[in-house]
Amino acid sequence: MVGGFDMSIEISNITKTFDSFKALNNIHLKINTGELVALLGPSGSGKTTLLRIIAGLERADGGSIIFDGKDNTKKTTQDRKVGFVFQHYALFKHMTVFENIAFGLKVRPSKLRPSKEEINKKVHELLALVKMEELAKRYPSQLSGGQRQRIALARALVVEPKVLLLDEPFGALDAKVRKDLRRWLRKLHDKYPITSVFVTHDQEEALDVADRIVILNQGKIEQIGTPEEVYDNPVNPFVYNFLGNVNLFHGRVHKGKAEFGSLKLDVPEHLEARDRQVVSYTRPHDIEICLEAQGHEFIAAEIIFIRAIGPIVNLEMKRVDNGEYIEAEISKENYRNLKLKLGQIVYVKPRDFRIFIPEDYVI
Amino acid sequence: MAGVIPINVRRTNQNKARERTLQTSKVIPIFLTAIALIFFILMLIVPLVSVFVKAFEQGAGLYYAAISDPIAFKAIKLTLITISIVVPINTVFGLIAAWAIAKFKFKGKNLLITFIDLPFAISPVVAGLIFVLLFSTSYGLFAPLLNAWGIKIIFAPAGIVLATLFVTLPFVARELIPLMEAQGTSEEEAALTLGASGFKTFLFITLPNIKWALIYSIMLTAARAAGEFGAVSVVSGHIRGLTNTVPLHVEILYNEYKFSAAFAVASLLTVIAIINVIIKNIADWKIKQQTKI
Repeated sequence: MVGGFDMSIEISNITKTFDSFKALNNIHLKINTGELVALLGPSGSGKTTLLRIIAGLERADGGSIIFDGKDNTKKTTQDRKVGFVFQHYALFKHMTVFENIAFGLKVRPSKLRPSKEEINKKVHELLALVKMEELAKRYPSQLSGGQRQRIALARALVVEPKVLLLDEPFGALDAKVRKDLRRWLRKLHDKYPITSVFVTHDQEEALDVADRIVILNQGKIEQIGTPEEVYDNPVNPFVYNFLGNVNLFHGRVHKGKAEFGSLKLDVPEHLEARDRQVVSYTRPHDIEICLEAQGHEFIAAEIIFIRAIGPIVNLEMKRVDNGEYIEAEISKENYRNLKLKLGQIVYVKPRDFRIFIPEDYVI
Repeated sequence: MAGVIPINVRRTNQNKARERTLQTSKVIPIFLTAIALIFFILMLIVPLVSVFVKAFEQGAGLYYAAISDPIAFKAIKLTLITISIVVPINTVFGLIAAWAIAKFKFKGKNLLITFIDLPFAISPVVAGLIFVLLFSTSYGLFAPLLNAWGIKIIFAPAGIVLATLFVTLPFVARELIPLMEAQGTSEEEAALTLGASGFKTFLFITLPNIKWALIYSIMLTAARAAGEFGAVSVVSGHIRGLTNTVPLHVEILYNEYKFSAAFAVASLLTVIAIINVIIKNIADWKIKQQTKI
């Protein structure tokens, strides 16, 4: 953490409606000084709208945005002094890389504008930071996607914002570049005294980079937490489904006993449930595989697909009792010990089993 | 699973091969290109060349005499004055309208677009008549006012400027709207987040991005302002040396069987048209370069 600066963002009661579509519904969120927060959600969840409201590019219908204790709700974008990196970079096509980065300094009113030498120095500092000094004279159309992304970041940082907002910063890049750049962003964030918020629909990206993840769905916050918290303890089926691969089991719960086809389990937390339809989720790496049945906690399944590339082996199985599919990930070592083959019948046990009783119908 | 992939690859290869055979059959494209070329030569190039041939038919001396004749000179002067008033006004209006329509959401936007298109839809003669009905000093709607203040619009240069303004109003906006809409607002938003004021954003971001389309649309407006015949003819009154523009002067010369002189003056308008085509090509090329990203 870098000391000596304070820039928390408090979002309270933010609501936004487009025509009849409710993009954001009563959003409350506090982002602490120096945090790197991911707004994660499917398309249409309102994450980009929220980011644009923080930047002042969009006006909320209600609620307030507070930067460092000061109400910013009515301030213009220019006065909020945020760095914003756009999804498709929005580089100025008619300007060179150098001019793009210098823009934020050159457009200052003449009293606040640094001298030509100072601008020159600052731009080269940033070019060095994004490792693109030799490309200063190029135009954006002559750069690759990853290079454009880095220039967009340098351009946003030139005005030394205390808040950096990034809209799908790696969305348009290929997988390899994306991974490199997000690590680089993390390092950059740690080096600068800056509070960052980025929007993504890629759960892996959010889990990899963010200090905290805010999961949005249909204009509402589903869960806020560290990557570990949201991954290990999803609060509802949506979050479970959205973060990582899951196996879905449909079953019933009655007086603390759960039944999922041939699988029977004790669920003491649902003692009061009376013959309720339930759903359960298990991550592929929480599926245990045995060659022989051991009691009621196992489901018989046929192996229909094996992918044994790399240290993790992916298995796809079809349940014998109801034909549903189960995905599992096991270590290569385990896979060799079990000597698994296509078409083989194995016995499967979910290790970590979360049961959700769907909400009653409310009319 | 793995077996599926090569089959897909083979299929796309076959598709490519099929595309290639379509491209390599050369007869049809050559045939179509030839038809188009012959048509263009007959309809555009031959008339264009004949204007200049006719203009110089009786020698460069007569050509020069025709365009330096005092009455022709006054017609050229009136046309230039009209251009110098109409083009700036319609450029500023077109820019504002295009900016508003392309970059903002507001009620009545479609209505505004429809109004901008109106001069395209109305026959220039009708446009001229509208101004006569409004500003004629004998039976116009504003006749009492105009008479009281002693202002003359119809059969005077003011009417010519008004009619030309009306006819050339859509060109700048119409040329800029699709381009500005395609460019979106993200560069402007980026400028705002970097602290640029609205005016600086317009000056440094929006304007350079539309520069070439704007230059072309200004040229188009100027060419149309110089060449407008119908609407101007109605409001002008054809007073030689006073309310005759270049196209009206050409008509008079033509009606007096002074063909070489008529074509000589007409060649001036043709030169403007040719310059326009060249600028249009440069503009298209530049826009393509810019939007490559």
